[in-house]
Amino acid sequence: MLRRTGDAIATALVASVVLVILLHLLPGDPLAAVLGDHPVAPDVEARMRQHWATLPAIFGGLLRGDLGQSIVQNRPVATILAEHLGPTFLLGALTLLIDFTAGLALGVWSALHPDTMRARFVGAVTIVGYALPSFVIGMLLVWVFALKLHWFPPGGVSDVLLSPDASFASRLVDHLWHLALPLAAMVIATLAVPLRQQRSAALATAAQPWVLAARARGISPGLVAWRHCWRPALTPIVTLLGLWFPMLVAGAVFVEVVFQWPGVGLLLAQATADRDVPLVIGGGLLLIIAVQLGSLLADVLYHVVDPAQRHA
Amino acid sequence: MTARVSAGLLLLTIITPAAAQSVPRHATIVYAVGREPTMPIPLFTAMFTENEDLADQMFLHLAVFKPGAQVTGDNALAPALAKSWHRIDPLTLVFDLDHRARWQDGTPVSAHDVVFTWQLANKTATDQSRLEPIAGVDALDPWTVRVRFKRPFLEQLYTFAFLMQPLPAHLLERVPPDAIGTSDFAKHPIGNGPFRFDHRVPGQLVELRADTSFYLGRPSIDRVIFRFVTDANTRQNLFLTGETDILDHVAPASLPQIHDDAAARIVNAPSSDLVYLLFNTRAPNDTSRIHPIFSDPRVREALTLALDRPVIARTSYGEGTPVPDAAQSQSWAWITAGGFKPAPGNLARAKALLAQAGWRDANGDGVLDKNGLPLHINVMYPASSAPRHTIALQVQQMWRAVGAEAELDRIEGSVIRGRVFGGQFDVWINVAVQDPTPTSLVQSWSCQSAHHLPTTNFAGWCDSTFDRLVGVASSAKDQPAAWRAVLSRMASQHPAIFIAAPSSIVAVHRRYDNVIIWPSRAWLSLWQWRVRPDAALPRDR
Repeated sequence: MLRRTGDAIATALVASVVLVILLHLLPGDPLAAVLGDHPVAPDVEARMRQHWATLPAIFGGLLRGDLGQSIVQNRPVATILAEHLGPTFLLGALTLLIDFTAGLALGVWSALHPDTMRARFVGAVTIVGYALPSFVIGMLLVWVFALKLHWFPPGGVSDVLLSPDASFASRLVDHLWHLALPLAAMVIATLAVPLRQQRSAALATAAQPWVLAARARGISPGLVAWRHCWRPALTPIVTLLGLWFPMLVAGAVFVEVVFQWPGVGLLLAQATADRDVPLVIGGGLLLIIAVQLGSLLADVLYHVVDPAQRHA
Repeated sequence: MTARVSAGLLLLTIITPAAAQSVPRHATIVYAVGREPTMPIPLFTAMFTENEDLADQMFLHLAVFKPGAQVTGDNALAPALAKSWHRIDPLTLVFDLDHRARWQDGTPVSAHDVVFTWQLANKTATDQSRLEPIAGVDALDPWTVRVRFKRPFLEQLYTFAFLMQPLPAHLLERVPPDAIGTSDFAKHPIGNGPFRFDHRVPGQLVELRADTSFYLGRPSIDRVIFRFVTDANTRQNLFLTGETDILDHVAPASLPQIHDDAAARIVNAPSSDLVYLLFNTRAPNDTSRIHPIFSDPRVREALTLALDRPVIARTSYGEGTPVPDAAQSQSWAWITAGGFKPAPGNLARAKALLAQAGWRDANGDGVLDKNGLPLHINVMYPASSAPRHTIALQVQQMWRAVGAEAELDRIEGSVIRGRVFGGQFDVWINVAVQDPTPTSLVQSWSCQSAHHLPTTNFAGWCDSTFDRLVGVASSAKDQPAAWRAVLSRMASQHPAIFIAAPSSIVAVHRRYDNVIIWPSRAWLSLWQWRVRPDAALPRDR
């Protein structure tokens, strides 16, 4: 595990260097975001640029743990990222929670009822959701549930008119009301993957001799599914969880943009368009760290779910 | 409506029968803006509209526009922070500040604040060219300010009184200029205008509250919320679901949907926007040389005549969009009292002009060429602009009819600045926001601006006759006639193809009365909007 952690740190460092260099190779000028097409005298432009970190300064800052200042917002990158992390984490965590509970349950259920109409229907619906781009799903949800039915707001994280003195319960209900559509878009776009992974793994496991033996012993189908099918079929799901873990911090850019969910995805999309290099680097680093953490988490979970790994 | 009127009170003032009901206690405006106004402090706005619009709610100008929005002469503006002014001589104006004016911490606004702000502007302003005509500013007494100019010109009042939004000296004098942007003052501004800063939720909103002791009268709007929504579709959805009260920059394609919304009213405000295809007169790969195609005025004229500009304007910006022949947005409609009458397209004349200029289809490929150089034109525009893409497609098709081949170059906004400032383009589809004053033409179209930085004369266009006429117009008695001559000269030289002077289409919730939207600094009168008591929403009560 120590070696694995060391590898993760080294990979994160290399990825950071590549990210910084790639960003500097991108065409475009942050001055466009700061000034539009307003002209400024060369000395004023030079004065503005001298406040912007150069490549060596960015690397120096990173080594000291300082992510620097956003060019466009003129505020510390760390502060800006921290402000956007909460909404992204909330959306990502709930998506993962639903995907890896409902998705897994539906996957096992589909495996146990492979030839029923209901299982085929669930499979078809989720695969349609997976096939559609998330922003299309988002726009459809907005059109139906916000513009036509007026059941949910079309965007944002909370009601801007809600009093700062509103009770915790009011604020919670308001947040959940705003969360409904983006969360639905995320889940519809992703649910098919854990479902199908779990279904395939459970089907393969169900054909194993120990499952057949359990059934032959007269153990109930539910218990067979829980005790003998589900856990051995978890390994590919753990891999998936590791891969999707960065969603917690990077969000889903398209869904955040469509719903103007003020998370890291929306922030990074805007920062990239603005060529706000320090902010993009800060967000990119966050993502790299999340990828490495996800990978480490998967390794740890392998040990938990697979006894063979523990003893290896 | 005459052109003068349309250029005038830029919008719509709807007077309703006197309502018997009491004014809603918490009349609210929620306005979604495309980017976060992170620095709504005069002098520090970096000229971003969102910053300026928010600053306008908190910081008064010395004087503001009058209906008509002309800016020449000493009577052009209406009093604001300055209750009056008088002229000492052609180079000197004296302003009397309103004694009742207070900063929102209770300190009186004084002449010292004005002098301090002027001194600060000299150290920090992004665009120093606006200050260049001013020789000096000094306080004659606590409420009297004397302003001396370097030369006589008709827009002295506008140059100082509108552009000057004083900052509180007592709060900022001890803060180094470079540190003001990150100071506590920037985080929680204290102004002297109709609204006080209330709170900011980073990345989401800024809320302002009415200053109930505002000396010009309590605002009829109690709170204004600037909500940040970067995506235009979401801004529209928020308006249609009633979460916001104003939707600006409405695309013509969205109009039917907004017309169907019973709570919405469309307001067609004259705007300062001008849409044109700018010909680069310098070679993109070596700006010290002339452009091999566009340095010839006959080619520029031919390419102009090849276009059916009214059709392009209509399909891109909607029915009735004016088409100017020179750099004239609707905010300068007073120059041509008869309205916009564009010269018609003429395909035969366009072909003849190109032939005269030596362009022939030597190899029979349908594209004209001259000395081996094909009439191949790169047309650059930002990928994010749907109207400009519509324009580009039509231009491409219409130019094909005269043997010109347009290559559409749809690029990101952050890349365009470098290309434009470096002169690396053939044709650029630009949307310029014109200053209220036509003397600003020198910034983009004069010989001086072609050769000196900073400049917005990106094409390097230079015409000494045009420059001379601008000089004459700057101090002419008959302002409309003088500026007509300037624009006429420009139209004859075809430095660009002027496509449209579009209106600013704004959707506003129907419950507001007294809706006034200005062509420049649109929301200056927001504090005077009113919510009709019989139409108030729960958030207004």
